[in-house]
Amino acid sequence: MENMKRFVWLILLLTASAGAFAQAGRAGAKPMHTVAKGVYEPFFRTAATLPVPVAAFRLDEYAVTNAEFIEFVKQNPAWRRSRVNRLFADKNYLLHWATDTTLAPANAPLLQAPVVSVSWFAAQAYAKWQGKRLPTVAEWELAGNGTPRHIRFHSLTDYILDWYKRPNPKVLPPVRSTYVNQYGLYDMHGLIWEWTFDFNSFVGSTDSRGNTTDEVQAFCAAGAVNVKDKTDYAGFMRYGYRGSLKGNFCIQNLGFRCAKSI
Amino acid sequence: MRLPTDFSRARTGLLATALSASVLLFSCQEAGKDKAADTTAVDLNAPLTGTVTAELTDAPLVPKPLTYNTPKKVMVELEVIEKVMKISDDTEYTFWTFGGKVPGKFIRVRVGDLVDFTLKNAPDSKVVHNIDLHAVNGPGGGAEATNVAPGQSANFQFRVLQPGLFVYHCATGPVGMHIANGMYGLILVEPAEGLPKVDREFYLMQGDFYTKGKFEAQGLQPFDEEKAIKEQADYVLFNGRVRSTTGKNALQANVGENVRLFVGNGGPNLVSSFHAIGEIFDKVYMEGGSAVNHNVQTTLIPAGGSSVVEMSLQVPGVLNLVDHSIYRAFNKGAIAQIKVSGAENPAVFKRSK
Repeated sequence: MENMKRFVWLILLLTASAGAFAQAGRAGAKPMHTVAKGVYEPFFRTAATLPVPVAAFRLDEYAVTNAEFIEFVKQNPAWRRSRVNRLFADKNYLLHWATDTTLAPANAPLLQAPVVSVSWFAAQAYAKWQGKRLPTVAEWELAGNGTPRHIRFHSLTDYILDWYKRPNPKVLPPVRSTYVNQYGLYDMHGLIWEWTFDFNSFVGSTDSRGNTTDEVQAFCAAGAVNVKDKTDYAGFMRYGYRGSLKGNFCIQNLGFRCAKSI
Repeated sequence: MRLPTDFSRARTGLLATALSASVLLFSCQEAGKDKAADTTAVDLNAPLTGTVTAELTDAPLVPKPLTYNTPKKVMVELEVIEKVMKISDDTEYTFWTFGGKVPGKFIRVRVGDLVDFTLKNAPDSKVVHNIDLHAVNGPGGGAEATNVAPGQSANFQFRVLQPGLFVYHCATGPVGMHIANGMYGLILVEPAEGLPKVDREFYLMQGDFYTKGKFEAQGLQPFDEEKAIKEQADYVLFNGRVRSTTGKNALQANVGENVRLFVGNGGPNLVSSFHAIGEIFDKVYMEGGSAVNHNVQTTLIPAGGSSVVEMSLQVPGVLNLVDHSIYRAFNKGAIAQIKVSGAENPAVFKRSK
């Protein structure tokens, strides 16, 4: 009887994992999780910025991987490295790939790592192909603020800053290698930077201390007076990073994940 | 009876002081007039007389004095590099640098030059960087024009209108953290006639550092933002490392020479009381500007400011250069050295047997 039970469990387990593998291999079957509706407090407070209500939405469990992106370029030749329009992706586009559709054999571990060196336009095209879209800054920040389930740092900010303080690793670790948060989302911080749909909607993108009258509302020389939380160094970094981007930039530590409205 | 006499003497003294003060004031005003004229002294319509690429040096070296005396277009390119380096013999730190070292590369230009400045951010950088040069008249000192993502570069041009020794630093938020990680350096703008000739020139830059572990705790130590906000420095350093400029790395000079130090203070927090133990500064270009003070024991160098000091060396030995907020020198690393070689000079200093 006991043996029988074990046998049934084994069968169930095997079926489940086989199913999972089949799912992972099929485009569009990537697990997504629901982020409950919430309110996003903009990092910079001005008379014009109000808390933003965010409707519930679905977000990819982990960032788009090299393996997933290879499928995309196979089916969408216009997005291959040799054919892409420079207006939509700069010369660093998929620079770490060996050819248009493969990684070097030595880079096999990277198949399950997030795809990086992809432009915003490429990320947009991928999301569209998946029937999804890129998350907005408000959505991404809401999801990113999700409480970690297990983390060895005393705060999420500490955890993020620790990541910023370490140089980029020689080999990017695979997805789901950092932490999972309350929504079931992996690696919201600590693995890569991620594109957002409206990354460039924030105007104070140049000097963090601001110069124009508009920005003076948000910044003061060498430190923001109206920042939500002046000690949120991680927040400063994300806004600074997004502010420096252009849509065709392809950067070694910048990838993306997709969202879907409910 | 003696009191009134003393009083009248005091009054005479006061009068003399007042007179000399007004003379000083007058000369200051004169100097002030000159200063106001500096920004208009450069003829912006005069044609540039060629293009040169700036010589850039790592501390303690200084680029050679400029040999041209008409305005040129000067090409400057700096790359931001984030890298782990030793902050002490057994302690490492993730520095953010202009050019791979702390402090950043020394830039030397002449008043009237047009600087064509390119800032690159290394492809493997984690974060965004920019540059604010205090020698710039323009938005953010260049910071607005140079917010650079990893692997990208940005370019802007500025005309150097005023002579002096200026700090440059990163101004990307959080500015304090970028500076605390070592993102600062110096740009010297020589006056049109150049600086008086000296025998040796050196580059020193002070900075304060904040780490999770205590001073010289072993291993890779991360930046500690709480200590930085409280201004409780673990390290106060010249040229980014404990013992960067002491012992076998001491600056070398000879008896009878004139030495000029270009000294900057990157901060982020602390003001330096710069002092040479066993020497007197013959000249100090106060705060790196045009006013020269003489016979100075200790000179203040503001965070985000500089000073040019000159001294003639009379006797051999080791000169310790310190921040005379003295615990910083003895407990936090703020010591650099000049080794002065040459014959004893008993007419100036003699040890009694």
